[in-house]
Amino acid sequence: MTAPGGPPGCERVPCSGIVGADQRRRSPPVGSEAPTRGATTLDFVDFVWDRRDDVLQRGIEHIGVVAVSVALSAVLGVLLGVLSYRSPTARTAAIAVTGAFLTIPSFALFVLLLGIVGLGTTPVVIALTMYGLLPVVRNTVTGLLSVDPAVVESAQGMGLSRWQRLRRIELPLAWPIVLTGIRVSTVILVGIAAIGAVVNGPGYGNLIFTGLARVGAPVAVDLVLTGIVGVVVVAVLFDAVFTLLGKLTTSKGLR
Amino acid sequence: MTVSAPAGADPLVSAAGDRPRRAWIGWLALPAVLALVCLGLWLYVGSQPLDSIEARSLNASTISEAVVRHVQLTAVSTVLVVGLAVPLGILLTRPFTRRFRGALLTVANIGQAVPTIGVLALLAVAFLFLGFWSAVVGLVLYAVLPVLRNTMVGLEQVDPTVLEAGRGMGLSTGQVLRRLELPLAVPVILAGVRTALVINVGTATLAAYINGGGLGTLIVAGFSTNRFLVSLTGAVLTAVLALFVDHLAGVAEDVLRPKGL
Repeated sequence: MTAPGGPPGCERVPCSGIVGADQRRRSPPVGSEAPTRGATTLDFVDFVWDRRDDVLQRGIEHIGVVAVSVALSAVLGVLLGVLSYRSPTARTAAIAVTGAFLTIPSFALFVLLLGIVGLGTTPVVIALTMYGLLPVVRNTVTGLLSVDPAVVESAQGMGLSRWQRLRRIELPLAWPIVLTGIRVSTVILVGIAAIGAVVNGPGYGNLIFTGLARVGAPVAVDLVLTGIVGVVVVAVLFDAVFTLLGKLTTSKGLR
Repeated sequence: MTVSAPAGADPLVSAAGDRPRRAWIGWLALPAVLALVCLGLWLYVGSQPLDSIEARSLNASTISEAVVRHVQLTAVSTVLVVGLAVPLGILLTRPFTRRFRGALLTVANIGQAVPTIGVLALLAVAFLFLGFWSAVVGLVLYAVLPVLRNTMVGLEQVDPTVLEAGRGMGLSTGQVLRRLELPLAVPVILAGVRTALVINVGTATLAAYINGGGLGTLIVAGFSTNRFLVSLTGAVLTAVLALFVDHLAGVAEDVLRPKGL
């Protein structure tokens, strides 16, 4: 169990001795200011390099759990948006409910789900899927409503059925906005996934929480920094994928 | 900014103004549901036999202290966020800052990818900065960005012809800002403040990890003593508080929106 340590604060006392000892060990020769900074940066690089297998493993876990959750919330969100956008009441309700999901603090939601599905990856995927819905639903509704009614009408005039109109006209036209929604969901989920470590979830959150449990020890800073940098790198990677995906999947006429 | 959707659909900016004002009966529905949830939790916890460890956390004084601390964390950090981000947003929409605005927004967007627990954890492990004020600093650092972004978007979406008309009527630059731009931007700014409030209520839960107090202490205490009932109580109360705070902010948005908008 890498997640929550003892009650907050109790780590400090036993660790304080280590701080002193380690500062002594690490302290640079007197009068060398610049090398100190260089040394700590190098220490961090060394730290990550020494643990590259673990860091890579955590990264793959992090990407995996976010990718699965984003895919689920994209499918469910687009479905909800398509089903609700024609009725003002339905779309208001869909946005209000998914908005309420996003309002529930992640730490609390993970714990509530822990009571239902137990520890591990499952509560994390469920929670992340719930959090990812709002941007997708909102953008699907906005996108579908922004389609020019004249275009839909002419499609109808050409004899396209309701399903054909949706699949061949409305969704392709709304797609760039829908994709932006999915992209926003992804950014949110990459960050929230880090908190999933409290219920033994996968990913970089484990490094952050392990570091937090060792406040005062020098390894704590390296652990937390690795976790944060890892999360940011995953976010940047996802963003790059979405830029590519946007270029590949946007209808030619819209580019 | 990475967003390509039209300004009205910008999903990074909290939606505002597209909701009709609710009737007062609509304002009472959610609090009623939340009160029922609290009642249910109270009855459930009351029906369980509590051992001494559970009783130490699940009593009126511990819980109310945690709630009060949580509200303090949220309120103090939100006030600081608004005090910092709104003036900064005004500065960054003035013509003389236009040059470096793009770079700043890019940095801000990347900063938003840093997880909340990461900000708090870094304050704790790197600066050994723990406690209430450390949590406040962490919350402020994280919530500044959405309010800043909404302030800037709110000010930029004001119709330039309105400002032109104001200047034509002989208003000074300061008067145009105070009497035209800011009132017209209020709905979008308020939506940003509401977002900050929601983020802060949620992140304040994690303050327990750095001795900041709040309802997270119940969850963490339940984990470390293996008493799920304690964690569950903390989690339900956190969720209820967050939904209630968001609801209050929504009511405030409706009430504070300048008339005529």
